Formats: sequence, structure tokens, C-alpha cells
Amino acid sequence: MGTNQLLDEIRDINLSYLLLAKQMLHDDRVSAMYRLGINQDIADILDRLSSAQLIKMAASNMLLCRFRFDDRLIADMLSNDSRDQSVTKSHAAILMAGKPAEAIA
Amino acid sequence: MRNRSIITEAKQIHLATELIELGARLQVLEMNTDLSRERLVKLYKEIRGVSPPKGMLPYSEDWFMSWQPNMHSSLFINIYNYVTKNTGVDGIDALIKSYRLYVEHIQVYQLEKVLSLTRAWTLVRFVESGVLCIAPCVNCHGSFVVHSLEIHSNHVCGLCNIPSRAGKTKKAALANFH
Repeated sequence: MGTNQLLDEIRDINLSYLLLAKQMLHDDRVSAMYRLGINQDIADILDRLSSAQLIKMAASNMLLCRFRFDDRLIADMLSNDSRDQSVTKSHAAILMAGKPAEAIA
Repeated sequence: MRNRSIITEAKQIHLATELIELGARLQVLEMNTDLSRERLVKLYKEIRGVSPPKGMLPYSEDWFMSWQPNMHSSLFINIYNYVTKNTGVDGIDALIKSYRLYVEHIQVYQLEKVLSLTRAWTLVRFVESGVLCIAPCVNCHGSFVVHSLEIHSNHVCGLCNIPSRAGKTKKAALANFH
């Protein structure tokens, strides 16, 4: 994949992510904050972004969303396929819900 | 009888409707709305088509300690704590939102809905009053519902250390048989 194509893909993902997040927050703010793992400050910022700002923000050479679970245990639980899926997934959900929300300084 | 605003009443009826649809018992409705008992009973009948169940609510805190209920209630309380800490809603609204998110998890992984709304409400009250509390598991560092009077310094959750008979209920055996 050439650099240009890569940058295009990154911009697409950034835009999709921001649009989805905005849509989720608009539809059901509380559930969206839980699903996105963000707190009120970030939700407010996303809410206030205009379409023009959204496009500017998405046009970056870095991804705006990042790997959310910096915990090996959760990553293992989500990716492995053990015999009892539902129990492992519930365990992962407990750990993920217990993580602090992403916040800004 | 009392003169109160119609808008407030409409909101209360809306809240009661939502709670009934999620499976709340009459006592939960009485505690969380100002509507009279007769009106709540009427509303309940209208929505569910049957009279509300009579008798006391389940009140055992030990129920939350057995393996499967503990997994479900720990998941719920983690969601509830996230919602109350980060989203700015609290009280019964937070309970409803968290319960919907819990039900969603159940549906995604096709689990049995072990925790009813009334149990979830009881759980929150138990935690607030200090009968139950949340302790970290030393193995996975997740938060789990535990008895307040137990020693928690070395708590290992039921999911890190799954008991041999865990989840082997009569219901599950029957489902496998068919």
C-alpha cells in the first residue's frame, strides 16, 4: 500500500469514527459515552464539532481513535476462542466497564 | 386530591411505563414515582395485561454471591458505576440506562437474563447501604460484588477461578438434552 493510499484510508477511518461517535451521542448520549468510553468533556467537544471542523479534524496523518484496552488480559479474552465464549466475554465486559473513562486535561 | 403539574405527572407516568416494560415490580414503582398505588396498578395491568405480582420483593443478599448471579450483578454494577461517574445522570435514570446496556450484553452473547430490573435496583440499594460492596479481584483487577463483612484483601473472582459446577444448572442440562 502506497503512502497516499494509506493516508486516504486513515482519513476515511477518522471521518467514519467521528461521524459515528457524533451520531451515537445524538441518539443516546449516556449509552454512547459508555460505548465510546469517554467522559462528558469529550462528549461535549464531539457534540459541538461542525461538519467543516469534522472534515478538517479527520484529514490527519494519524488515527484519531486508538487501541482502547491497554491490558493484555482483556486483549486475550476478546481474541481467544475458548470453549465457553459467553463467560469469557462477560468477564471481559466486566473489566472493560470497570476501566476509567478517557478524559482530557 | 393534590394539585400538581400535569407535565410532571406525564413524566412520572412515562417513567413508570418504562420501568414496567423493563419488568419492575410494584414496590420499585412506588419508591421511584409519586403516582398513587391505584394508578400504578392500573398502569401495570394496561401494559402487561395481568395484575402485578403480590408479595415481598426478593431480599436475599446471598443471591448475589452465587456464581452466575455474581457474574451478572458484577457486570451490571460496573456499567452502573461507569454511567453515574462519567455521564452526569444518576438515580433511577442511571439505573434504567445501565439496565438497558446490561440487557444488550445479554442479547449479544445470547445469555440468560439472570438479573431482573428489580434485582438490579435491590443491588444498587444494597451497595449504597453498605450491605454489599465492590472489591477488586487480585488476579484480573476487575471489580466484583462481594459481601461487606467478608475479608476482601485477597479476593479472587469467580471468573478467574471458575468453580467446577459453575453454570451446570438443571435448565442448562435440559437445554443440552434437547
